[in-house]
Amino acid sequence: MKRDPWVLIVIAAIVAAMLYGGIYAARKNRATGSVSSKLRGQTAPDFELKSLDGKNVKLSDFRGKAVLLNFWATWCGPCKIEMPWFVELQKEYGPEGFEVVGVAMDDPADEEEIAKFAKDLGVNYTVLVGTDAVGDSYNVNVFPTTFFIDRDGKLVAREFGLQSRSVFVDHIKESLGQPVQAQK
Amino acid sequence: MNRIIPGMLLVLVACALTQEMPVLKAPVVSLAPVPIASIPQGKSGTVPLSFRIVRGYHINSNKPKSEFLIPTALKVDATTDIVIGRITYPDGKDMSFAFSPDEKLNVYAGDFEVGVMVRPLRSVQAGKYMIRGNLKYQACDNAQCYPPKQMPVSFEVRISKAAAPARKNPAQSPHAHK
Repeated sequence: MKRDPWVLIVIAAIVAAMLYGGIYAARKNRATGSVSSKLRGQTAPDFELKSLDGKNVKLSDFRGKAVLLNFWATWCGPCKIEMPWFVELQKEYGPEGFEVVGVAMDDPADEEEIAKFAKDLGVNYTVLVGTDAVGDSYNVNVFPTTFFIDRDGKLVAREFGLQSRSVFVDHIKESLGQPVQAQK
Repeated sequence: MNRIIPGMLLVLVACALTQEMPVLKAPVVSLAPVPIASIPQGKSGTVPLSFRIVRGYHINSNKPKSEFLIPTALKVDATTDIVIGRITYPDGKDMSFAFSPDEKLNVYAGDFEVGVMVRPLRSVQAGKYMIRGNLKYQACDNAQCYPPKQMPVSFEVRISKAAAPARKNPAQSPHAHK
């Protein structure tokens, strides 16, 4: 059977466009941290971890509040930049039913270091000592990684790496069910 | 055409998966091939290990400026009869990054070389020996950091026989015995 070369060229162009689209979407997701349709609306995996003040805390304890779930580590420079923002955002949006929950992914044996680090940065929100299992359940392999969860415990957004403060504010508003300023 | 449609479907699935593609997990540091160092029994020699960091990433130097940062460190496994001596690290570069423009971090970026002093005892048999260890490092790029890694490192050394001690020639008396 003789094939028309134009058919093959068109098919190759479609395949190339689809591949480009896939890669572009993946990069965009990574850059903007938007949660793909597959993740958005899914229930955030529940966990129970020990807080720095020795309490056992479950993510589901915060049901009814919007949660910013931040995976960080003491050795992570970018984490150190955004944590003071979270302190401010906790103050600003806390009365509206918003909670920042930090999960420190250092070696759990380094709890004292984690506490010192958090104290030095004036952290005013819940800090939990993370485990690999919890990190794996959120597929966390870079730091910081931040999830935004709505009042019903559903995932709204995810951010990899340091982002601007305004990106966090938009996601917080979205998870609180407030109108978000249209992106320029 | 019958073969093309399933192929296109496969590509479609691949495109969907890339949208959930996990962020880079590949190691960002690699070790260049190490030329075999030849060291005589009972003597010491330094083996240079050349590491390369992928462009766009940096790792902390051996002496980072903050107690919280994880220093790059090479740990070499102990061997019998071959003593691992001092490990020397280069000075890091003071650099500031987009995530912390006001703070300088002491880092390695690009290529860097670590020296390992090796001293085989006199009792070691001449021949080739494999030395193994781990390079611990923690990498970041301009916006995010990756968990600490232990990179296996190995290199060979050739232990050669110690040079025979110079034989003392018994001095001949200039005076002939009578």
